[in-house]
Amino acid sequence: MAQTQRQTALTTTKPRAMSELARREERTALWLLLPSFVIILLIAIYPLGQVFYSSFTSARFASSEPTRFIGFENYRNLLSMTIRQLPPKLDEQGNPVITDGERQYETWVRILPRQPRRYSSVNEFNFFGRRYVLGATNAEFITAIWDTVVFSVVSVVLETIFGLIIALTLATKFIGRGVMRAAMLVPWAIITVVSARIWEWILAPTRLGFMNTFLSDIGIGDGNIGFFTNSSLQLPSMITMDVWKTTPFMALLLLAGLATIPKELYEAAEVDGASKIRQFFSVTLPLLAPTLAVALIFRTLDALRVFDVFQVVLGSQRYSMASFAQDMLIANRDVGLSSAASVVIFVLIFAFAIFYIRVLGVDSE
Amino acid sequence: MKKILFSLAMVLALGTVALAQTVTVAAGAVGQELELIKAAAQRYMDANPGVTVNVLETPDLATDRLGLYLQFFEAQSSEIDVYQIDVIWPGDLAEHLVDLYQFPGFAEAAQEHFPAIVENNTVDGQLLAIPWFTDAGLLYYRTDLLEKYGFDGPPATWDELEDMAMTIQEGERATNPDFWGYVWQGNSYEGLTCDGIEWVASNNGGSIISPDGVITINNPNAIEIIDQAASWVGTISPGGVTGFGEEDARNLWQSGNSAFMRNWPYAFSLGNSEGSAVAGLFDVAPLPAGKGSPAACLGGWQLAVSKYSENPDVAADVALFLASYDEQKIRAIQGSLNPTIMALYEDPDVLEAAPFFGSLYDVFTGAQPRPSTVTAPNYAQVSRAFFTAVHDVLTGQQDAETAMALLELDLEAITGFPTGAP
Repeated sequence: MAQTQRQTALTTTKPRAMSELARREERTALWLLLPSFVIILLIAIYPLGQVFYSSFTSARFASSEPTRFIGFENYRNLLSMTIRQLPPKLDEQGNPVITDGERQYETWVRILPRQPRRYSSVNEFNFFGRRYVLGATNAEFITAIWDTVVFSVVSVVLETIFGLIIALTLATKFIGRGVMRAAMLVPWAIITVVSARIWEWILAPTRLGFMNTFLSDIGIGDGNIGFFTNSSLQLPSMITMDVWKTTPFMALLLLAGLATIPKELYEAAEVDGASKIRQFFSVTLPLLAPTLAVALIFRTLDALRVFDVFQVVLGSQRYSMASFAQDMLIANRDVGLSSAASVVIFVLIFAFAIFYIRVLGVDSE
Repeated sequence: MKKILFSLAMVLALGTVALAQTVTVAAGAVGQELELIKAAAQRYMDANPGVTVNVLETPDLATDRLGLYLQFFEAQSSEIDVYQIDVIWPGDLAEHLVDLYQFPGFAEAAQEHFPAIVENNTVDGQLLAIPWFTDAGLLYYRTDLLEKYGFDGPPATWDELEDMAMTIQEGERATNPDFWGYVWQGNSYEGLTCDGIEWVASNNGGSIISPDGVITINNPNAIEIIDQAASWVGTISPGGVTGFGEEDARNLWQSGNSAFMRNWPYAFSLGNSEGSAVAGLFDVAPLPAGKGSPAACLGGWQLAVSKYSENPDVAADVALFLASYDEQKIRAIQGSLNPTIMALYEDPDVLEAAPFFGSLYDVFTGAQPRPSTVTAPNYAQVSRAFFTAVHDVLTGQQDAETAMALLELDLEAITGFPTGAP
């Protein structure tokens, strides 16, 4: 931090002492930067502004219906949430109904508000012996945000662990290392839509699918596990597919990072009598940290905007944030709501990026 | 004089045809559809040298296909000239399609097709699409298995279907552990709206929204039958049926792993094709009924010409050719795709290839339409609300009573219609 401050101090005092030549060079530099700035303006800033703008309107997709400016209405429809307590169910004598040792509660249908916006249940939870319901005007989107965050965190953690193991293995010398390195990249090279289809077949809900055949042969399940239809298996299936596909990318980045660590450090550690495990934690991991940070940022931001696996496999059964935005746009033809959802995704990803940069200190590299 | 003018016009028309280069048809690829349209395109090109007809393969699920089309329309793309559109779309897509009556031949051709479908495709007096093939939900059943287990005919009610499916499934499981009683379309998509409206209508539960604009879905008969359908999941139908589309059901059926299937007519000729495990072992019947009489969802596809086409007259000519008597006959014989031209239901060649066209004629003419006209241009949202609610019931996330009560509120918000009894 101190260093950057000194740098800014230098640049602000310098121009006065700048020679004519330096100033001319600076102008040339600006001219040379102009094309890339124009391109960024055209392909990034303009569409982004367009999305921001349409998120405040009632625009319809592929329709000549007039567009109205409706302020924050789309955001209210997307993000309004409330928590209400559910009263316990009472029988005719006014005693609480208890089934299987569990107290029963009224359903949320009459508890959550309906005017001016209708809320539906995202989740129910117990807190200090009371039952609460979390309601949202757009329960699908709130669920999509939660699902996407869970998906991102779990898959990135798994990918990092597996990627590190693979990278460490491939960094050692053994016969056929070149072939192994190439083979490792195969899942990463397959287009996601194609690999999602492959997994769809593997995880088919009957014994036409490999996984059901395999599991039922070793005595797990009845050969009819619905990996994509059972709501508790949907996310694990998505995470499995993503880990399979993206671990190679993680391994590749980490492998490059490992190659930059000087061999002398290990020799020195060896001489000092450090064990292999000690070497890993005292030499490898600290020196790999910057690479690891970059890889984590890449993968987390990528995972947060996951679209293809969800869209191909789950369609409108369950959404990621991005597949929700797409479905609102295409199936519901609601450009405004979809744009608002995209802006929320943008803000969330931005927050994650800033968090990473602050915590891992990537910008100092 | 008139004649001379007419032939002059013809020559001019032919001239433009000869000059015009390319017409692209966006078509489905379910079952044999793609092969059939490619062969038809070739026949058109042979007859009209100078015109190239390209075929663009589109997604299998209707919802995905609509999404693709909307992207072309939003961009006002001239890439695609002729669109194969679902029976529920003319209202929603009206502003992107041309009136076919302005092209020669359509006024006469429209007389030959089922009047109900022509009316469905007519918005404000404009014919927006020419009917191509019609569809109605059918019950496919294994004749050999019914005989083996001592049943003398297909089930007339859903309860009978349950009993028969259960008996056959239990019996067959002894030799084939992967055998199921009944397969259908339970994924969260337009197909579930079709299956759902068949259950509801056959149990006197109405048609979600009545033709005069009353939301009727929240009634005891509808709730009862949807709960009953949910009870099939994991018992007579595989748990994964809630992820099934048409082709998933057909694959399981055609490999001989199911006693009954709900599907469209296209599965008939595929089921009898070479390599099918059920060839010659099955027949079709009207779907079973609940408290009321059987209902078959009206499906089917039309050909429409895009407003953004660069050669609308050639495109219209291609559409007219594809929907003609001879072409529909080929599709009926080779693909068991139901013609929309009434005379074809008396054509001996067609009846020989697909005898059920004759015996189930009433099912096709009396099919239950989805509430697409009354809710246009919001039908897609209405349907989405319905299939999401039904899917929630099928996967056990809600009971039908709650789901239908909430659906009613959703439909009120989307359409602004009043609620009432069916």
